[in-house]
Amino acid sequence: MTVSVRGLTKRYGPTLALDRVDLDIAAGEVHALLGHNGAGKSTVITCLGGGTAPSAGSITIGGTTHAALDPRSSIAAGIAVIYQHLSLIDRLDVTENLFLGQEATTAGVFLRRADHRARAVRLLERVGLDVSPDTPVRQLTIGQRQLVEIAKALSRDARLLVLDEPSAALSPVESRRLADLVRLLKAEGIAVLYVTHLLNEVVELADRTTVMRDGRVVWSQPMAGVSKTDLVTAVSGRAHGAAVAPRPVDPDTAPALAVDHLQAPGLHDVSLVVRPGEIVGLYGLVGSGRSRLLETLFGRRRATSGTVAVDGRTVGVGRPDDALRAGLALVPGDRLRQGLFGSLSSGENTVLRVMSLTARAGWRRPRAEQEVFRSTAAAFGLRPADPAVPVSRLSGGNQQKVLIARWVNDRAGTRVLLLDDPTQGVDVGARAEIYDVLRQVAAERGLAVLFASNDPDEVVALAHRCLVMRQGRVVDELDMRDTDEEQLLDLIHSELEPS
Amino acid sequence: MTTATPPTVDGADRRPPSTGHAAAAPSPVAAAAGWLVQNPLLVLLVVMVAGVQLATGAQLGWGNLRGVFLDAAVIAIVAAPVAMLVIAGYIDLSVGSTLALGGVVAGKVAQSGGSPLVAVGAALLAGAAVGVVNAVLATVFGLSSFIVTLGMLTAVRGVAQLVSPLPLSNFGEAFGFLGIGNIAGIPLPALLAVAVLLTAGVFLTRTPAGRHVYAIGVNREAAYLSGVDVRRIPFLLFVTSGAAAGLAGAITVARLNSAPAGQLGGGFELAVITAVLLGGIALTGGEGSMVDVLVGVLFMGLLRNGLTLLGVTTFWQNVASGLALVAAIAIAAATHSVRGKMQTREARRLDDAAPTG
Repeated sequence: MTVSVRGLTKRYGPTLALDRVDLDIAAGEVHALLGHNGAGKSTVITCLGGGTAPSAGSITIGGTTHAALDPRSSIAAGIAVIYQHLSLIDRLDVTENLFLGQEATTAGVFLRRADHRARAVRLLERVGLDVSPDTPVRQLTIGQRQLVEIAKALSRDARLLVLDEPSAALSPVESRRLADLVRLLKAEGIAVLYVTHLLNEVVELADRTTVMRDGRVVWSQPMAGVSKTDLVTAVSGRAHGAAVAPRPVDPDTAPALAVDHLQAPGLHDVSLVVRPGEIVGLYGLVGSGRSRLLETLFGRRRATSGTVAVDGRTVGVGRPDDALRAGLALVPGDRLRQGLFGSLSSGENTVLRVMSLTARAGWRRPRAEQEVFRSTAAAFGLRPADPAVPVSRLSGGNQQKVLIARWVNDRAGTRVLLLDDPTQGVDVGARAEIYDVLRQVAAERGLAVLFASNDPDEVVALAHRCLVMRQGRVVDELDMRDTDEEQLLDLIHSELEPS
Repeated sequence: MTTATPPTVDGADRRPPSTGHAAAAPSPVAAAAGWLVQNPLLVLLVVMVAGVQLATGAQLGWGNLRGVFLDAAVIAIVAAPVAMLVIAGYIDLSVGSTLALGGVVAGKVAQSGGSPLVAVGAALLAGAAVGVVNAVLATVFGLSSFIVTLGMLTAVRGVAQLVSPLPLSNFGEAFGFLGIGNIAGIPLPALLAVAVLLTAGVFLTRTPAGRHVYAIGVNREAAYLSGVDVRRIPFLLFVTSGAAAGLAGAITVARLNSAPAGQLGGGFELAVITAVLLGGIALTGGEGSMVDVLVGVLFMGLLRNGLTLLGVTTFWQNVASGLALVAAIAIAAATHSVRGKMQTREARRLDDAAPTG
């Protein structure tokens, strides 16, 4: 049985997330799906799992063609999606989780608990998980939970198993165990769609690979005879992202941001400097501590020891407000939850902090606020440049510009701009614009920019230097001038992957 | 419904420079339709008053309106700060009992010969003290303000009865002026209510702290990460709401010329919340203005008054008031989605009109 996706297209308001995607996954085959953040991988998965309805296209599974799936019909069609954020219920035990929503009953009312338990034992054995079926899920590790999810998929006779970056939160040992299980399931004739960032996994596991970029399939081939270099080329897409070289920074300038032996829960002895006008990338996978480092610098989390200095002055950062006063600002990773005031206007979102700085004797000065909005909207190319539009109605890229404008304007006094995953959920055109904005603020205003990303392309496009993070430490530093793009990508991948 | 969500940085020149064709301003009809969609309760209010006036010829007489305003004033004085709490994502259910406490404290002072100003000051202080307790529990300890103030509703009622186990009465003419006095023919409580609404409205729109009230209500996490003091502002709002309830208590007692600690302000908290919700201020926070509060309070007062004028009995008035609340919220929900669509269309129109590149 083959799963065929044809012409899958998804629009979110003004953004085209998927553009006529074709994908075939054969039974007994592992099909890897590669691509950067925002390439459209997650949207494909969500359409398969029935989390969202595609704007156009079809999904054919087992001879039946569906224009759209909902979670129920997706399960009925034999699709099981294991999302990165697992969907088990913490307070229930393994057995209850396995049969949630498909409980076997006596007389239509009474749970057949003993039956469930016996089947649970067999399922756990099949996925190689050695825990009691009575264990509450909250006591399991992430890796174990993942196996429970896979067991749940098997209990539903899934014919297509979709794994969304399954190894992102796993230890090397757990990753290897997972790879073995994937091979086993493949041998049983299950189709596997394996979504990942990691090229080694692809080389090791996949029978066929599809690479997505900007919502399109740009490359799809059987893996026989394909090398890692070929994959790197396909993923990076040479022509795209070939950025204007960032303006060089004098290495003798006094740093705008100096972090010295910073210690915090999850961070180990981090030291780094960022000079005025310099853009530094923090590259690492989920859980490497890149977001945690930014949040600690910003006072969102407490540091236990070490110093942070802005323009040579040591700053004590207990809360975000302190950081902002010291000239440190963060554009957070979760734009909607941590950054935006959705129902308020883009004007108000922009001037929220500046409002207090421009006020005289406690009274707002609308003229000064308007000027801040007008000048930043013009400088950053905000569309629409109308301060009255609720910010929730803007596209992702323009929302991000609003958040940058909140910290970078003539009044805010920001010296160091921290950005966590600056182009998450931003489409390709807007991504280039945000890179331009960041280069502009670094070059023209002499801001020090430190951004976290797990997208190597982004680091290449934007950074003067790259700090590689792993397990809460900065493990490597790369000068982006000396390194050619493909070499760098290859280097980053081989460094990050357990060998 | 956030009627006039206060302007921020939108001055006279909100439109991008016109490119000639696509960026024409919306037609007057569309603008009028948009305004009506944003203010459905105001439309209902006008229709209702016109209907009652035509049927009875009595609602718009000054004598009748004066009574309506007097009743509405006490609710408005408390609804203003409670609405600000709701905008910030909190609630204060304790105001009914706080009103009773403020009332008996003011009554005690007045009865023992204190000047009316001292009596009012004591009521304000007693109310503010209740507000501080609410504030500490809800903002410093982070407990649910619903539960905290629900508990305080009962506790403060007990305190009021402890302060004054026996009903007080006869506070003297000077104190009575607070409840029934007129200045230039307008009842003093109504003037106080206007002052409170104006002050709150100016605070909400013209000061950074006022805008922060909205920011906290829309997204507390983002507000914290933007350097907003997410504890101090709600703290002060709780204190203000307590003090306002204390003042409302003094006014009520002065008007009644008696202070029965057990009955004063019974069900008052529900009247306040009803007015706030009727005005279209969402319990989810982040939306609303003092215009909404005014419309909500007047709607409730004029509805009851209209029903009385039409000869509807009290029991049926209660039925009608309850249904009015549900209907108003249903209308608000319906217009909300219409408004969202209009905003999306407007945003796209401006996006298309803006020069590309």
